[in-house]
Amino acid sequence: MVTPLIEMKNIHKSFGENHVLKGVSMKVMPGEVVAIIGPSGSGKSTLLRCINRLNEPDAGDILFDGYTIIGKDIDIDLVRSQMTMVFQSFNLFMHLTARKNISLPLREVKKLSKEEADRLALEALDKVGLREKADAYPGELSGGQQQRVAIARAFAMHPKVLLFDEPTSALDPELIGEVLEVMKKLAYMGMTMVVVTHEMGFARDVADRVVFLDQGMVAEEGDPDRIFSNPSNERTRQFLKRVLQAEQVPPPPQ
Amino acid sequence: MDLKELAIQHKNTLSKIGLVITIIIVFALMLQQPVNSDYIDSWIPAIGKTILISIVAIVMGFGIGIIIGLGRISRNFIINGVATVYVEILRGVPLLIQIFFMYFALSIYVPSINDAAIAATLALGLNSGAYQAEIIRGGIQSISGGQMEAARSSGMSYIQAMRHVILPQGFRLIIPPMTNEYVTVIKDSSLAYAIGAMEVTWFSTKVITFHFEPLTTFLFVALIYFTLTTFTSNIMRVVERKFHIPGYMGAE
Repeated sequence: MVTPLIEMKNIHKSFGENHVLKGVSMKVMPGEVVAIIGPSGSGKSTLLRCINRLNEPDAGDILFDGYTIIGKDIDIDLVRSQMTMVFQSFNLFMHLTARKNISLPLREVKKLSKEEADRLALEALDKVGLREKADAYPGELSGGQQQRVAIARAFAMHPKVLLFDEPTSALDPELIGEVLEVMKKLAYMGMTMVVVTHEMGFARDVADRVVFLDQGMVAEEGDPDRIFSNPSNERTRQFLKRVLQAEQVPPPPQ
Repeated sequence: MDLKELAIQHKNTLSKIGLVITIIIVFALMLQQPVNSDYIDSWIPAIGKTILISIVAIVMGFGIGIIIGLGRISRNFIINGVATVYVEILRGVPLLIQIFFMYFALSIYVPSINDAAIAATLALGLNSGAYQAEIIRGGIQSISGGQMEAARSSGMSYIQAMRHVILPQGFRLIIPPMTNEYVTVIKDSSLAYAIGAMEVTWFSTKVITFHFEPLTTFLFVALIYFTLTTFTSNIMRVVERKFHIPGYMGAE
């Protein structure tokens, strides 16, 4: 049997009085693309941020590659370097060029030489089609370009899994496409990905599995075709009806 | 060249011209000062002392500012408490009292601060440290939390993230308020006059008792301070421009 790359067991998380995650369990298999969808405030981002412990879970266990990553003796920096993250607001290092944004963690975390890090950075920029912007600062790039650099920064680390926290939510509509293109490319390359998203088209076309989160619990999960065409959960049905209407996504091909 | 660039260049030229004019006036006044020439010479050590007190106090304050500033954002209860108490006390008591305290009270126990200039420098530096700490704290805290998260999520440690991501950005943000603080230190060095440190203000009062030319003398003293402060703010503007990030905050 294949060990799940990530296994979350009964995760609870509260912010003060607000009980955001109420016992969420989920698995991510190697090579799988998992889309986490659900209404605002359902705890999607919190769940994702619990995976690399940017948000510390209050209870529950997280296994990474079969081993728990909860506990004081865990080198969380080492774990995080293997499950890098892409943020909604890009979070590129504003004082560094695109190339240095990518090479900084390579040098600091992976302890690569400057030349090697630079080479890998350019290679990564090449993959997201931004090699010519290597020496541009984030402030000189469009939102879509910034997010593509952020994705390059994340996968240049050669992580075992990429975490995406609503990567297109802060983008102008006309810039969403270029970012989704890059993500699709990564998915087809076999990268394991966990994607919190509002892009139902992406979830349906690219994800291997969709997890529908509602009020801090997994309401439904499964094959995207089935969830989008025939959701078994009433809340899922209502949610999909609402967002698909708003988005005017054409019905799935029969 | 667009309008903005033109305006910037214009502004730079203006400030340079201003500086040159100031220096010319100062030297003109220096030469105009009445009476014997060895008295003109003797302004120099006083100016030197003012500069020395200011520079040492600024540098000392910066070192203290980094330590106390980082202490102010520490989650460690004790470190944070000590830093906060330091800032509140040093900021909440008149600088003149701190200088008196240093010179008249502490020097009883620490003989090496019996020298007025040393006592004044120490007091100024400790005091400026409190202000610079707050500026540094503000600079760090105004860097968005996302920067720290992005660094940590790639596997960098807290220290690495601070060193390579947060501090370099915070450093750029604090240049304008630091300019303020440095100019303030230069002006506040005149308080050292009260304990008889032989700096510019102290010297001017001596000159007046000798020659009774209060108008020219104080005008001259004012211009000395003005020259020092303008020079400082110009240097800081150069630093600001040098570290400017294209497409992102701060000076052009």
